[in-house]
Amino acid sequence: MSIKKVCATALVFSSCLLAGPVGAAAKSISLPPDSAQLKPSSLEGYAKAQANCVACHSAEYMLFQPPTAPRPYWDAMVKRMKAVFKAPIDDADMPAIVDYLAKTYGNEQPK
Amino acid sequence: MDRPIQLRRRRLLAGGAGALAASSLGGWGANALAASSIELPMVNGKRVLVAYPEKRPLIVLTSRPPQLETPWTVFNDGLITPNDAFFVRYHNAGIPTSVDADKHVIKIGGNAVGKPFELTVAELRSQFKPVELIAVNQCSGNSRGHFAPRVTGGQLSNGAMGNARWVGVPLKDVLARAELKNTARQVTFNGLDTGVFGGGDFVKALEVNHALAGEVMIAYQMNGADIPMLNGYPVKLVVPGYYGTYWVKHLSEIQVIDNEFDGFWMKPAYRVPDNDCACIEPGTAPAATRPIGRFTVRSFITSVVDGAHVRAGQSLAVRGIAFDSGQGIREVAYSTDGGQSWRGAKLGAELSRYSFREFTFGFTPGKGHHDLRVRAWNRSGESQPMEALWQPAGYMRNVVESVKVTAV
Repeated sequence: MSIKKVCATALVFSSCLLAGPVGAAAKSISLPPDSAQLKPSSLEGYAKAQANCVACHSAEYMLFQPPTAPRPYWDAMVKRMKAVFKAPIDDADMPAIVDYLAKTYGNEQPK
Repeated sequence: MDRPIQLRRRRLLAGGAGALAASSLGGWGANALAASSIELPMVNGKRVLVAYPEKRPLIVLTSRPPQLETPWTVFNDGLITPNDAFFVRYHNAGIPTSVDADKHVIKIGGNAVGKPFELTVAELRSQFKPVELIAVNQCSGNSRGHFAPRVTGGQLSNGAMGNARWVGVPLKDVLARAELKNTARQVTFNGLDTGVFGGGDFVKALEVNHALAGEVMIAYQMNGADIPMLNGYPVKLVVPGYYGTYWVKHLSEIQVIDNEFDGFWMKPAYRVPDNDCACIEPGTAPAATRPIGRFTVRSFITSVVDGAHVRAGQSLAVRGIAFDSGQGIREVAYSTDGGQSWRGAKLGAELSRYSFREFTFGFTPGKGHHDLRVRAWNRSGESQPMEALWQPAGYMRNVVESVKVTAV
């Protein structure tokens, strides 16, 4: 059986189609790097957020929230990440992470 | 403030290859792959456009997992949204990047089937009679970024929607082989995507009557081609008239169960106030909630954008799109004076009751400002509110939109 590999090279990220004699077969893609990073901060929670939050998802989840987002929102999200998504966040690290998020992306940002 | 931004956006999107340049926005990671940037008309609305696999440059809501919004100009190009422009929405970053369609298996089981079985996509294609339907898919949180007061969550403008021609097999035909018991109450759907640490797997449920009604489809083709990986290759659940949260990608497991599924993505996620308008006073909490369901009625002008300058004394041809949850659009009215007076727009052909439907009207603006509005009604008489409704999760937005133009 001959397998024909067709890759779209016009795009920066590869998209390859392994087309067999009949119909579609294997398709592979490779994803681009994150477009945004966490905002650096002298707050203690910055390093903890880097170690915990962006292991699972990119920084736009924080970066694009409305600047009105209050501390209880950030607190609920951090707790949800552990309770629902099983993110291995140390409970002792949570207050610092929430503090960094509320002060960097929420309504406690310096004016 | 919106006006120059909108114009800048148009210029960037129209720029083609010449506009390709690395973003040099402060606070952004260096990414030479960002095609351009735009400013969505909301506070904190700066976004980059990036070409993901099988996609043209789309607005990046999140990089990982990918959440990509369709640039607004695409909706004026035609009633069918091209595959490479169709929006992308994932919940977990454990997404499949390599799938062999022929070997991909859908497992059908659960405690309310008499005969569990497995089906490869090759068998799905060859052993069932295919159906075809043009239908809109829209994210529950499409337009969330325009809520006032703002709500948290994915800050989308209006581009998390698309209209495609789906080919697949009716779900009811597949379920018939499983010999459902009379205890069957709900059907759950899972796909290949998973949570990075195993929690929060994205599983959705439909009532069994809905699943068996005939329109829900296991699709393997989108606009005459394979479904793009990021839209659910090789098979995706198509739930016409229902929000995209039910359109499970990379469908791999179907369970018919004798109880009500209460996984995170059904409860507490993706719920709306359990009242007629699915709305509450801003800042309050709903007394009760229900799972989000059908689309509300929407209509948008696509041929002219908010803040545009047009020629005074010259006829302006305006076009746009309207859709609902499948009753079909009966009427679109337009106003050129901010809603003081209304006239009927001309409707285009109905590609399907679930499709975008084109409307057109013309008017000759005098010098000065004009507030264009459109309002659609479906065949059940449902329409769009003049003032936006509010709910805490930011779903189901369908206010009558305002496009302000200046004639010079």
